[in-house]
Amino acid sequence: MSVADAFRSFTRASAELAAVVPPAETVLAPSGVDELAAVMQAASDVRARVLVWGGGTHQGIGHRVAPDIVVSTSAFDRVVAWEPDDLTLVVEAGAKVDTVEAMLADRGQTAALPEWGGPATVGGIVAAAISGYRRLRYGPTRDRLLEVTIVTGDGRVVRGGGRVVKNVTGYDLPRLVAGSFGSLGVVVSVCFKLWPLSGGSATVAVDDPVRAAETLFRPVALLETPDGAYAYLAGTEAEVRSEAERVGGAVTEGFVWPDPPSGETVWSLRVPPALVPDGIGRLPAGWSFVAEHGVGHIRCAGRFDPEAVAELRGWAEEMGGAFVLEDADDDRIYETVDPWGTPPTGLTLQRRLMAAFDPAHVLVPGRLPGGR
Amino acid sequence: MSLQTDLIGLLGTDRVLASGLDRYLYGKDAGVYRGEVTVVALPETTEEVAEIVRIAARHGVPVVPRGAGTGLAGGAVPLGGGVVVATTRMNQIFEIDAANRCAWVGPGVINLDLSRAAEPYGLHFAPDPSSQSACTIGGNVANNSGGPHCLAEGSTVNHVLGLEVVLADGDVLVVGGKAPDPIGLDLRGILVGSEGTLGIVTKALVRLTPNPPDVRTLLITFDSVEDAAATVSGVIAAGLVPAALEMMDQRMTQAVENWLGAGLPTDAAAILLAEVTGDTPAVEAEADVIRAVATEHRAREIRLARDEAERALLWKGRKSAFGAVAQAAPDYYLHDTVVPRTKLVETMREVYEIGERYGLTMMNVFHAGDGNLHPLMMFDASEPGALERVHAAADELVELCVRNGGVLSGEHGIGKEKRDLMHLMFTPVDLDAQARIKEAFDPEGRFNPEKVLPAGSRCFDFGRPIPEGAWI
Repeated sequence: MSVADAFRSFTRASAELAAVVPPAETVLAPSGVDELAAVMQAASDVRARVLVWGGGTHQGIGHRVAPDIVVSTSAFDRVVAWEPDDLTLVVEAGAKVDTVEAMLADRGQTAALPEWGGPATVGGIVAAAISGYRRLRYGPTRDRLLEVTIVTGDGRVVRGGGRVVKNVTGYDLPRLVAGSFGSLGVVVSVCFKLWPLSGGSATVAVDDPVRAAETLFRPVALLETPDGAYAYLAGTEAEVRSEAERVGGAVTEGFVWPDPPSGETVWSLRVPPALVPDGIGRLPAGWSFVAEHGVGHIRCAGRFDPEAVAELRGWAEEMGGAFVLEDADDDRIYETVDPWGTPPTGLTLQRRLMAAFDPAHVLVPGRLPGGR
Repeated sequence: MSLQTDLIGLLGTDRVLASGLDRYLYGKDAGVYRGEVTVVALPETTEEVAEIVRIAARHGVPVVPRGAGTGLAGGAVPLGGGVVVATTRMNQIFEIDAANRCAWVGPGVINLDLSRAAEPYGLHFAPDPSSQSACTIGGNVANNSGGPHCLAEGSTVNHVLGLEVVLADGDVLVVGGKAPDPIGLDLRGILVGSEGTLGIVTKALVRLTPNPPDVRTLLITFDSVEDAAATVSGVIAAGLVPAALEMMDQRMTQAVENWLGAGLPTDAAAILLAEVTGDTPAVEAEADVIRAVATEHRAREIRLARDEAERALLWKGRKSAFGAVAQAAPDYYLHDTVVPRTKLVETMREVYEIGERYGLTMMNVFHAGDGNLHPLMMFDASEPGALERVHAAADELVELCVRNGGVLSGEHGIGKEKRDLMHLMFTPVDLDAQARIKEAFDPEGRFNPEKVLPAGSRCFDFGRPIPEGAWI
């Protein structure tokens, strides 16, 4: 059976979506879990290469996948269960980050998802393990992921974790799925631990973000861009006022988040937190960046320069970190530079785990480090 | 050569235990199950652990990792004989990196020792199980341990940045590190809480948390358990996540007070221990919120710990509760389940009903803030049928919690205790997926067999042919 025949009976995605995804035989938007499971079974049967698509905002990460079919989660956009008094939210993968956060904010809560949501979906953010700027206070996205339901490469519907804030019941599947880029399964729904939004918040200019990191107790974020450094504070109004005075600088009420850097190539520099100032100093001239002090992450962007990239990557890896390509204007750049860098040790084990969830190896083949 | 001879060849006679007494002692954890030990090995290095795993493989015997043995779910109890690998001698703190707020430690480092070592840097290890003066970091990692302060700080998994682990083939793998977001699948998360069934952790890179600049600790007294439970739900609903929110019922308070004399109100139906941390204006405002919610729910008395000494005394009462109960009955069975915080009131009511139905004294001391219940059932194991009654009541407690939207375990793990209750939460397909994870790590089932997953988990099958050339 041809790939086209195998998927003839399934729900097509809209023409708008089909126009933006990479070229593929078929672009599907399964209407429910059962149909998605059938799609994945069919994919395993005919060995069709599957690219999973949420909002498309983080598709630039990883080796390029030439898919036979693209599977969109656009039909999975419902809020399944929101228990404000429990500070938990169960939401389907295709829900937009911005929509979810706006809904939560109405009741003074947040899932601390990335602040630059745009078309990003919850499932995409989880699959790519993308954390927002507030990570310093609330931890990375994978720390707030309590439960996950996926459809595996061979069409099994698998749930792991639970809908409570504390849980050690079997293997922590949610954390394995976070950052798996669709290689274990299509994320169908997730449960997040929520946080209450504080009454007061402020963005305070700071001269020395490293000192601010030492002085402040639990700031929400400490960001530095080419325009300056800012401490993001939250708490009671009295608390925010006293903290703001302590670090000095001009105070703006509320949070003013920087735009994510953009350029010919966008990168994620990951180093031990104390090396952030060093990392900023090593960025190629003219690159834009948002550095997260206390976290060890610098998202940066600029013109692609293979030598500068190799140098930066060499340093980051030597320091136990990574320098990961997150996006590029031109796909040919992925042919000249490995988007991940040196693969981690233990690739054999990683491959065995992927095989446990995707025995026919149809999900995003080749996308992960080491070309798997 | 015999298994024991091989191990002695590696470790010497001092670090291989095989006497009747030793095998008896290591056959049990702090819970109620007893297993069977062939031999106990006490490695001091990663290389020794790796070699032990290879020796065990050669002899075809299981390997059961063990920390301090403070677990209650039977996770460290060997069910089919084999080598118990006790990591207590791997208790070196290799590095405290204050600038990056983390530490590389051996699995045998005692939880509280790590916090003490980090104290000069104004840091501590946040997970603080009640057994923290005895339990090891390796055990904490294996069980994703919690503690009262996990309410705001999260469990062990939120504090593990990297792990060095010996795999089933004796290979040593390092995952994670000081930099955030390691590339590839995040194996740290799947190893934490895996209860020694996937590998043996030989080093852990753990996050250290800054000590708070200020703290307020409140002791709140109630005339009914419902009011106390409603206060817990109310505080969370008011948008406050305190550092800790702990509850003790009357029987437990009496036992603790009898032993400690901390001035706890023994006539109260329930007490709450609430703690907020942060800068002074923050802790004052947050303490006010807690006071207001407690008053709304008919709190009889709200006492603020005046100084560090009083605060320490209150926490001592909380953390030594399990020792204090010895006066009530010769044996106790401590349970660990979780419900959504909004279900606390009704769940507590049913917990007492189950106790009455089985004729068991039920005492409660628990992490109310995150819905993590710890009912203690008091009994006398020498009384015929008593333990069977306890097990039946325990199973019913788990069923109750799952029915109310909860999970089997919050911080003690599944071990042997709840292995056969996993189906309450998971479908055969879910369990099969978990069994495949186990298989990917440990194809021969060498590590801690018969734990976590019930027998027959790896049997789900679509009945479809596996595609040709598939990865199997």
